[in-house]
Amino acid sequence: MNTPPIRFHREWLPIFQDRVETDSGWANWDRFQLAIEAAKVTAVPEFDTLLCLDQLQGIEPLPHQIDVTKRVIQEMRGRAILADEVGLGKTIEAGLILKEYLIRGLVQKVLILVPSSLVLQWTRELNQKFQIPAVAQKKAWMWDKYDIVVASMDTAKRDPHREVVLSQPYDLLIVDEAHKLKNRRTKNWQFISEMQKKYCLLLTATPVQNEMEELYNLVSLLKPGQLGNESRFNKDYVAGKRLAKNEDQLRQEISRVLIRNRRKESNLPLTERIVQTIPIELTPEEKALYKGVSNFVRDRYSSANDLKSMLSLLVLQKEVCSSRDAVFLTLFKLFQKGNGEEASIPPEVNHLIQLLRAVTTSSKVEAAVDLISSIDDKVILFTEYRATQEMLMRALASKGIHAVPFRGGFNRNKKDYMMEIFQKRAQVMIATEAGGEGINLQFCHHIINYDMPWNPMRVEQRIGRVHRLGQKNDVHIYNFATIGTIEEHIIWLLHEKIALFESVIGELETILESLEKDTSLEKNLMDIMMKSKTDEEIRNQLSQIGARFQNAKEEHLQERAKKEELLWTK
Amino acid sequence: MDQIALRNFTERYLEANGCRIMESTPSYLHTQLSIEADKDLVNRPYYWMYVEKMNLPANPLQLCFVFDPENPPEDRRAEYLFYGSPRFRQLLRSAQKQGKFVRLYQEPSGWSQFSSQSKGYTPWLSVHYLVSYVCDQKKDRVSSYGINLQTGQIKTDFADELHCFKWTLKLPEKRYTLSPRMTIQEAVGEIEYFLTEELTEEDHEWAEDAHKRLNEELEQVNAYFPDGAKQTDEQKSAKTARQRECIWQYHPRIEVDLVSAGLFYLENGLQNQ
Repeated sequence: MNTPPIRFHREWLPIFQDRVETDSGWANWDRFQLAIEAAKVTAVPEFDTLLCLDQLQGIEPLPHQIDVTKRVIQEMRGRAILADEVGLGKTIEAGLILKEYLIRGLVQKVLILVPSSLVLQWTRELNQKFQIPAVAQKKAWMWDKYDIVVASMDTAKRDPHREVVLSQPYDLLIVDEAHKLKNRRTKNWQFISEMQKKYCLLLTATPVQNEMEELYNLVSLLKPGQLGNESRFNKDYVAGKRLAKNEDQLRQEISRVLIRNRRKESNLPLTERIVQTIPIELTPEEKALYKGVSNFVRDRYSSANDLKSMLSLLVLQKEVCSSRDAVFLTLFKLFQKGNGEEASIPPEVNHLIQLLRAVTTSSKVEAAVDLISSIDDKVILFTEYRATQEMLMRALASKGIHAVPFRGGFNRNKKDYMMEIFQKRAQVMIATEAGGEGINLQFCHHIINYDMPWNPMRVEQRIGRVHRLGQKNDVHIYNFATIGTIEEHIIWLLHEKIALFESVIGELETILESLEKDTSLEKNLMDIMMKSKTDEEIRNQLSQIGARFQNAKEEHLQERAKKEELLWTK
Repeated sequence: MDQIALRNFTERYLEANGCRIMESTPSYLHTQLSIEADKDLVNRPYYWMYVEKMNLPANPLQLCFVFDPENPPEDRRAEYLFYGSPRFRQLLRSAQKQGKFVRLYQEPSGWSQFSSQSKGYTPWLSVHYLVSYVCDQKKDRVSSYGINLQTGQIKTDFADELHCFKWTLKLPEKRYTLSPRMTIQEAVGEIEYFLTEELTEEDHEWAEDAHKRLNEELEQVNAYFPDGAKQTDEQKSAKTARQRECIWQYHPRIEVDLVSAGLFYLENGLQNQ
């Protein structure tokens, strides 16, 4: 058997000779022993074991994640599409693979390209969970200076960065949200294709969104030729734009470069969701205010012609279900800007201000305080409005309940600090934002939806902060519904018709997109609320939306099942 | 590496580096670093540059290492030390850096130290190599060799023999060193030759497999890009680049790096065995 080339590194020899000549710089016996022991500890004993698992603290990878790590390194040789469904921990898998390669000394220079909103989150996760010294790219000089850089694709592909990145060979390239590389005629695709890379991981939950060609393009980035050249691929595997042929063989070829785990099969320890609607009866003053504002909005809505004032009205209509303070703030802003002088406040607004003044208590706040006192455990409360948040902070403080605020506008440190206080000391977190990065609240399992976003994605994001991998308890979801208001209808739609709360709807975003082809769901809902004359009419229209949603979902599931067959390889 | 072995290693490292142990409990260890250890374990090169340039009194840090994360000290900052933590990796690196080169004399043992007869010491070169088998995967071994600089005799697992004696930094009384008959460079060449022979005898199925994979990949590349004549310049360079990537990823090779090298002066016996 042929011996592969052997290379002796001799850089040490002149240094050693120098020590002999100058008779200085010698270690003693103990240090000599420590050096050898250290070398033995860091040496890699076998080709195909996983070393990273012994070197990690604070995370316990799930069986499917360990399995992915092994397969990518041992079978796929470090070039793979990680296509687990959302929420199964693709980031963890990529982190494990990176860690393993670092420990083995096979990887030094690493680039991680992610959407710009995720740069900091990725960096933090690699630092904290994996003790990997990754840095977020901020300045041009950082490309050279640091070995492990997290950057946004948009930055990297632009001048002057582009040239630097392309001139540098990377031992490992990781691309998150890699479905953005499905079109080979885009700058993104060409950029990744041009990069010099030894190992490469493409992360995406949706490797085929529409056409067969997308999959071909993704695979060709990793391993050009794995599916033949383009004409070969079309001839062998494509029966129609969205239709495959020779599926068994295609599946086999794909399985050499793509791994997909699905929720259903992964036996994930995901806990139950227990949903409860809390009906709230308004006081007569609150009812009057609600009616006043609704009438005001309705009047203006029919005559509003620009989008901006329509949006303000939409906000106002939602806010009146949240708190008096929120309404006040919006009204104030609306007329401060528009009219400048106090005298010119129109009489109908003045009327609203009268109604606002009459409201001295908040039924919703009282209900929140009562509920939180009865829970005796950590609670996260979501509201859409700053004014409501502040009002709740005050109300809870006056009852001696320790609560912390959380807002999108906080900087990273403040967010971390608030989360830490919530975890260690406070009973309640009052958050105005659910999306964004790095809010993981698995230690809490009570969610109050104090007011309900009209956009199902936002609701799903809220719940997703708490109900995710690592949550050990069943999650209680409390939806506040003020009786006789729009809120009640919205919750009815989301709960009864869309079934948003009970379980994770996979790929909700895609379903909504197909539903929102012409107008956004929110605009649609507003129209219904404004134009319907009776509650019954509202319910009818909402039922229709619900039915359309179910149809879109059904359709989406069917189409996905077809694609899934190709990707499902176990 | 478990926490017991890790603590043992850490304590020995600190001792070998002149660090003071301020407090030691079953769950943690509080230490005053020496200047040398501070430079290796704490990332603050500018501080040290400043102190040295300005001739200021050095102020190395105190660190508190926790080995049992359930029971950290409550009254001070402490860091959890585990296999894989950045600090412990630094510690391993520092240990390797500082113990790389050594020159030691055998301490006279038993009756011989009372003998009035002077004795000659034979010089040996000891080398520890990290031998890495690399393709798209990797494994290492650490191996020890020794060569008698007078006779050229080579021994494997030389370190095991070194462990049989006590060692001192200074040449003991009534001892003198025999002069080597080969240069260090020649001796290293001999060991490299020896190791090459050893490697040639080994089974390199891993390398064959890697070669096979490499060839498969190159075939794919050929199938993917159009044939020579039809190629655009762009395609041509893309093809070359991709071929280079494949070779970079797979081509099997053996890399030999030094762990430590030492001159050992031994009484006798060894060369006669």
